[in-house]
Amino acid sequence: MRTGRRAIAVTGGRALLTKIAARGRMIAVVCAGLVGAAGLNAAPAAEKNSAGAATKVALRRITESQYRHTIADVFGPGIKVEARFEPERREDGLLALGSAVLSLTSSGFEQYFALAGSIADQALSRKDRESFVGCAPHDPSKADDACARGFIAKYGESLFRRPLTESELQSRLKAAALGANQSGDFYGGLELALASLLVAPDFLFRVEMAEPDPANAGQYRLDAYTKASRLSFLIWDSTPDAELLAAARSGALHSQEELDSQIRRLIASPKFEAGARAFFADMLQLDGFGNLVKDPTIYPKFNQSIAEESREQMLLRAVNLLVHRKGDYRDLFTSKDTFISRPLASVYNVPFASKQSWATYTFPEDSERSGILTDIGFLALNAHPGSSSPTRRGIKVLEVFMCQATPQPPANVDFSKVQDSKQGTVRGRLLDHMENEGCSGCHRRTDPLGLALEHFDGLGQLRTIENGMPIDVTADLKEVKLEGAQGVGEYLRNEPRVPACLVRNVYQYGVGQKTVGRDRPYLAAQTEAFAASGYRFPDLVASVASSAEFFKVVTPKKASPAPIVASTASPSPPIAE
Amino acid sequence: MKHHIAAGLAIAAAALPGVASADWTRGYVVEWNEPAMYYGAKDGVIDPGTDCPGGTNPEVDWIKVMTTAGYTEEEAKWLRNPANPTRSPVHGQNQMAFRGKDRANVYVNPTSTPDPGLTAVTGTIGEGIDLDGSKKTGFTSPAGEKGIDNNFYKTVGCWKTYRGPRRLSSGALQFNDSMRNGGWTTVIVVAGKGNDPMNDKEVTVGFFVSDDKMVKDGNGSIARDYTFNVKPHARYEAVFPAKVENGVITSTKAVDGVLREPAYWRDLELLRAQIKLEMKQDGSLIGYVGGYRPWEDVYRGWVGARGPVIESLTWVQLPGVYYALRRNADFSPTGPKGEKTHISYALRVDAIPAFVMTPDATAQVASVQSYKSLAAAEPGRSMAAIPSIRVVDGIVIDPKSKYQAGPTADVFASRVAAAASN
Repeated sequence: MRTGRRAIAVTGGRALLTKIAARGRMIAVVCAGLVGAAGLNAAPAAEKNSAGAATKVALRRITESQYRHTIADVFGPGIKVEARFEPERREDGLLALGSAVLSLTSSGFEQYFALAGSIADQALSRKDRESFVGCAPHDPSKADDACARGFIAKYGESLFRRPLTESELQSRLKAAALGANQSGDFYGGLELALASLLVAPDFLFRVEMAEPDPANAGQYRLDAYTKASRLSFLIWDSTPDAELLAAARSGALHSQEELDSQIRRLIASPKFEAGARAFFADMLQLDGFGNLVKDPTIYPKFNQSIAEESREQMLLRAVNLLVHRKGDYRDLFTSKDTFISRPLASVYNVPFASKQSWATYTFPEDSERSGILTDIGFLALNAHPGSSSPTRRGIKVLEVFMCQATPQPPANVDFSKVQDSKQGTVRGRLLDHMENEGCSGCHRRTDPLGLALEHFDGLGQLRTIENGMPIDVTADLKEVKLEGAQGVGEYLRNEPRVPACLVRNVYQYGVGQKTVGRDRPYLAAQTEAFAASGYRFPDLVASVASSAEFFKVVTPKKASPAPIVASTASPSPPIAE
Repeated sequence: MKHHIAAGLAIAAAALPGVASADWTRGYVVEWNEPAMYYGAKDGVIDPGTDCPGGTNPEVDWIKVMTTAGYTEEEAKWLRNPANPTRSPVHGQNQMAFRGKDRANVYVNPTSTPDPGLTAVTGTIGEGIDLDGSKKTGFTSPAGEKGIDNNFYKTVGCWKTYRGPRRLSSGALQFNDSMRNGGWTTVIVVAGKGNDPMNDKEVTVGFFVSDDKMVKDGNGSIARDYTFNVKPHARYEAVFPAKVENGVITSTKAVDGVLREPAYWRDLELLRAQIKLEMKQDGSLIGYVGGYRPWEDVYRGWVGARGPVIESLTWVQLPGVYYALRRNADFSPTGPKGEKTHISYALRVDAIPAFVMTPDATAQVASVQSYKSLAAAEPGRSMAAIPSIRVVDGIVIDPKSKYQAGPTADVFASRVAAAASN
């Protein structure tokens, strides 16, 4: 770290030791905060803060992309965020729902800790650090509480998404003073204070607070800062900016007029694209690309570039149609307009007519490719390493676009017939497999949609023959007959459950809570409004974000007492000899 | 293939005069190329075989070479001793250059020393193309075709750098590695006027370069179906009138052209060049480009690659290479009685399907024509540079070296005296 290097240069080993000591105290400060947060996790619904009014109602660990976007927005895009983040968890189809049940492992904290030091170092090593800090210390070799206070308060508010409490401020001021005096460097002290903010649970977790609702006695409402966070993370995938925080600070955000005004501003911002990308990356389950492997003997064209760029292609398609062109969401399943890169063009077996990294591309009318389901990303992600999988593809169509979950297969299923990819077509193999009564129920529901996509192999390359036999891409759903990928696309375009599922996902993604039966009327009304807007995604986001339900308070259930298990303290009976 | 590019298509060919689109085109990228060297042994890479019954060119006894050149045995041993300052990992042994008459530099003046010889191919089978139309001259192809003209193979085919089975000689591995890792890219466009690409009497085949690098697939091979934009180049380009019979493309007229050579000397300048390429069922294109090339360029390439290093590592005396190339040269651009400045040669080419685009990247090449009029001014002829070293007259110039080689260099005596005084 910069301060460490400087300390060694100036005063040698003694300074380093004091620096380490100061850092140890910083760890203590941070850990004290964590203990508080851990307590918060298990806190009963009625727990109140020192003011006796606000109530903590939810915790959500910020995602990797939210972390990155926040750092870029707060400190500038030049800050490098180099770390391996803790894995996220998908619940009911969304990582956003999983984030509400995630904790922090010790190894994960180590990563955040190292990253905090790196970011603080970069932020305070910049040439313009005086203007970045906002003041100049009286003596750069000593602590300066007045100057440090302004800096910590400003960046603390951006990172915690609310003003720091006096005790939070004081603990960082203490760390800054300690670090400055022991290392002989004011900025070294600030670095410690900033790092402590960056590893604080109030930054790493979105702490949602409720307060008594003045308009409804006995009821709670989300406090204004929590509302601001919900808005900015839904629309920008990042922390609230100064204007949104100001609206929260003044309480104006509680008014519908100011709320709508802020939503319009946020959606009009270029950062809405980042927000939309984050939402679709979550909904389309694109995190799966991180573990995507293909057998190189079967799919030699697959490599890391193909994996990364297939993911990007799906996002570009979605964001271009839905954000840039403000198009009809249903066209996502039928549009022949997409984006390709040079590596992707080789898999699509088309020329790449551009000198840029990406180019727009429109598949010919007679092409079997149309819509996001025929992007090699969707096709490759939902397939086996060495073959296609109509079942996986069918399951994901139902789950991702129609919000219909499919149960796990029974544990005792014999997959040998269906996995023998050297015999006939997969349709025939699945029919054999479906002779098993325990399997046929689900397969009848999932497979038709996948079988209609069988003209694309496990990498998404076009084919018409498998093992020397022509591939049949007709499919029978309950009410309709489909043929090929275009048939699936048309089916989804006209299926009412598809826009309803998007509405549900946007809502769940924004509030971090799974919908329940009583939400149905609200979701139905939102779906109706979405249809009335011409299925425009920005309108949907605005409509959800401006609704009262988006900010409704769901107090957490009381934590169940831990089950009492038999004591292991008593000695085990001796082993018979 | 029909395709629609939304980014607005423009036909670059429109910038060129009188270009008509072909009825069919196929694009390829060269994923491997090497001098066509028939390997006559059953296995190994240097074993004796029908091509070279004695095996590859044997390792040179450099003490003997240097003493023959006038150095004392003590001096020769001193020079060859790796512990002495006359040897260096960078320049090998510069003093080896000065073994000509009156200690002339044999790399720039190879005739200053008698011909030390170079083991030549004595087999009758060779690969390539019948360049002169005579069945009486040249080798017989492995398939039995007579009159294959490839005196370059005859000359250097037993040199261990060139010798080995297909795609396994050390030279081919070295330079194709460089090409496949992004060193350069050669693309081929085949365009025909007929209805059947496998049988077409009017075909044109173009060899061009591209700035787009090849990409390796999951198996480490070059990936198929990538896109490459033609880079107009003032030198590297060859366009062949040809025909196709049962998928085999052969020249209908010899032409002059220059290809990017997989060698230290980059320019493969071919006179009366012809092609024999086969479009395979798997979509690949394999075969030969043949012609007569200036043989002195080949020699110059090896000298420029640091004569002492090449000689020590590849077991040849470069003057022997010079004499052998000169001896086997078989073509004069000025006529049968002119000086034989060129030698018959064949490049073995393996290409895979690719999309070849016009230089502005807006459309697939729809016909084969020269792009030289769009090229920047021709750069000077060049050796492939060896990073961070400066080669002059075949030796590395290193001003910091403790020992400076030269015709009048004090090789041994004063060093012995200095050592004795210490």
